[in-house]
Amino acid sequence: MGSVQSRRWFLVPGVIFLLVIDMVPLVYSLWVSFYQWWLVRPRDIRFLGLGNYLSLAADPAFRRSILVTCTLTFGAVLAEFLAGLALALLFAQPFRFLRPLRAVIMMPLFVVPVVGATMWRLILHPEMGVLNYYLGLIGLGNPQWLADPTMAMCALILVDAWRTIPFMFLVMLAGLETLPAELFEAARVDGASWLQAFRFITLPLLTYIMLVAVLIRGMDVFREFDIVFVLTGGGPGTATETMQMLNYRVFGLGHMGQANAIGVVTLILVALMCYLLIRVVQRSR
Amino acid sequence: MREIRAVHRKSPAGILVVAGTMALLVALALGLAPGAWAQGKTLNLSMLAGFKEDVLRANLPDFEKKTGIKVAVDAAPLGELYKKQLLALSTGARYDVLFMDEPWIPALSEFLSPLDERVKGVDMQDFVPTTVAAGAFQGKQYALPVDPNVQILIYRKDLFAQKGLKPPATWEELLKIGKAMHDPAKQQYGFVLTASNDLQTINYMLLAMWSYGAEIVDSQMRGALNSEAGKKGGEVFLELVSLAPPAVKTYTFADVNKAIQLGQAVMGVQWASGAKPLEDKSRSEVAGKLGYAVAPKGTRVSPMRGVWTIAIAKSSPNQDAAWEFAKWLSSREFGMASTRYPSAISAIHSPRVSVLSDPGTQQALPYAPVLLDSLRVAKERPRLKEYADIQDSLRIIAGKLTAGELKLDAALREMDAATNKMLGK
Repeated sequence: MGSVQSRRWFLVPGVIFLLVIDMVPLVYSLWVSFYQWWLVRPRDIRFLGLGNYLSLAADPAFRRSILVTCTLTFGAVLAEFLAGLALALLFAQPFRFLRPLRAVIMMPLFVVPVVGATMWRLILHPEMGVLNYYLGLIGLGNPQWLADPTMAMCALILVDAWRTIPFMFLVMLAGLETLPAELFEAARVDGASWLQAFRFITLPLLTYIMLVAVLIRGMDVFREFDIVFVLTGGGPGTATETMQMLNYRVFGLGHMGQANAIGVVTLILVALMCYLLIRVVQRSR
Repeated sequence: MREIRAVHRKSPAGILVVAGTMALLVALALGLAPGAWAQGKTLNLSMLAGFKEDVLRANLPDFEKKTGIKVAVDAAPLGELYKKQLLALSTGARYDVLFMDEPWIPALSEFLSPLDERVKGVDMQDFVPTTVAAGAFQGKQYALPVDPNVQILIYRKDLFAQKGLKPPATWEELLKIGKAMHDPAKQQYGFVLTASNDLQTINYMLLAMWSYGAEIVDSQMRGALNSEAGKKGGEVFLELVSLAPPAVKTYTFADVNKAIQLGQAVMGVQWASGAKPLEDKSRSEVAGKLGYAVAPKGTRVSPMRGVWTIAIAKSSPNQDAAWEFAKWLSSREFGMASTRYPSAISAIHSPRVSVLSDPGTQQALPYAPVLLDSLRVAKERPRLKEYADIQDSLRIIAGKLTAGELKLDAALREMDAATNKMLGK
């Protein structure tokens, strides 16, 4: 056994790996965000300081993209959370016939996001889509899922929820299965209803796991790109243009400084969201 | 003999003469054998994926056999191609030759080899003049035209004949016919275009606005779409949208073709590149029933030009081989082969008058005469380094207009403001 001092050297490879993989690109990105650097004019690279950040703050498109991203994040995480919890509660019941269905519920998780989004684009197509065909049969008209600004956002939330409800379900079910059965038996003996048991036993004991799941999904949806790109491309108009779509657009036009500034702001917002959720998680323990 | 040897040994000038003569002979031999100097070279080509890539790939063996130059094709879809080329060229190009859309040339000219000296050896007279201009920027030729594209009017010849109608020459005539034949209950729509935030939407809007005399920038290089002409064109554009299928707000280039192929649209404007599949009987219910015409005019005829060109990266170590490839791709030989390529969807046309006016071409491509006529009057997008940025902003604003986020007046104001911002005005 070596001393504590010598054992710390074993951390060095990990620290170096972390620095190279995480810190170097991050610092480089931050550094680039202080410059005006347009790939089309390679000889005109100028230090702007906070110029890119100030122009972002003044840009209505950027402010709107933050709002759109927050709406999508809130809507998708809420839908996934509620559906995941409901399914987990159902599958936690001792019904044998539900067991095979677990695998079916998990299937969307195995679909490549771009493939899933493309499939949904076809399903939601107003003329060729199977969804509108059946809605038409029952007299619900021909909704323009991806052409109407509000419905396009709903469609994104729906597709994101479809893809990741299994994740929420899995996490919640794992949490439910760790809850001590004695507590529920005691509650039943005391005459507690199912709702009371849920309110006073399940919810408090599951809060930590729920918050962790919401934290993970919140970070994911905030950085969502593929589904938005395939389904709406940020449209109609700018109704679903998230920060990531805007970043992709700016980067594609070669504005490296601005694109990196958007990336840094995204990182700050995600970090802030994580910090707040982690505080809530810690309080819940 | 010894004396002679001694003289030779002592004469460096003689050695130089012999070596020089041999070098000259080798150079001549290489020059006389076509492509011999290029044997074993491989060119990296950045190419548009899909319906132009397959025509190229089918014909590449001919070029490779003739010159000994291999071509490695790196194809990317339209939405990604500019980004990929910009990134590659600005970070030390991995490409030797690039198949690029003409509006990209000003922005990428910094990284391209000027071809002015080289084109002196090419018969430029055979090209439609506007297609040559597509490869030029600020008086320098950076690319050769390969695939001339232009917006053309497509209409249902059979329905027009039933009603005794002629193809519309003006937007007023088109709207009148469109409204008369618009019958959503029968899934028959007066006109088809895109009204999403797809790039094509702003191109349709510009087609209408340009035709009334509006310009994206004026002579002072300031945004100029917010004008009477711009407003008139914008109104026509919105009327066209009202005659389109209900899902038009999600439409892309491919959806326009699909609506025509299914016989849902009485009329439509499409790039000539999209016209070939419309005549394929296995895909199109209206094959043989379509007519083609130059896009209608407002106060002038000004269909948008969009020529695909071939350019050489300045950083390419294979400049001569790249030039051989560029010459071949824009040649009459390739044009004749590509216009006759037996595929229903593939389309690389030719910028050469001799190819487009050839009876065989006109038989293979019924729209070839209209393509030629349209190219002659086609209007180019502003040749500005900032055009990709301006176009992207205009695309978003046109999407906001069709989505109902903006009214026409506000959209035109926002378009000019975006243009001025990009141009630093």
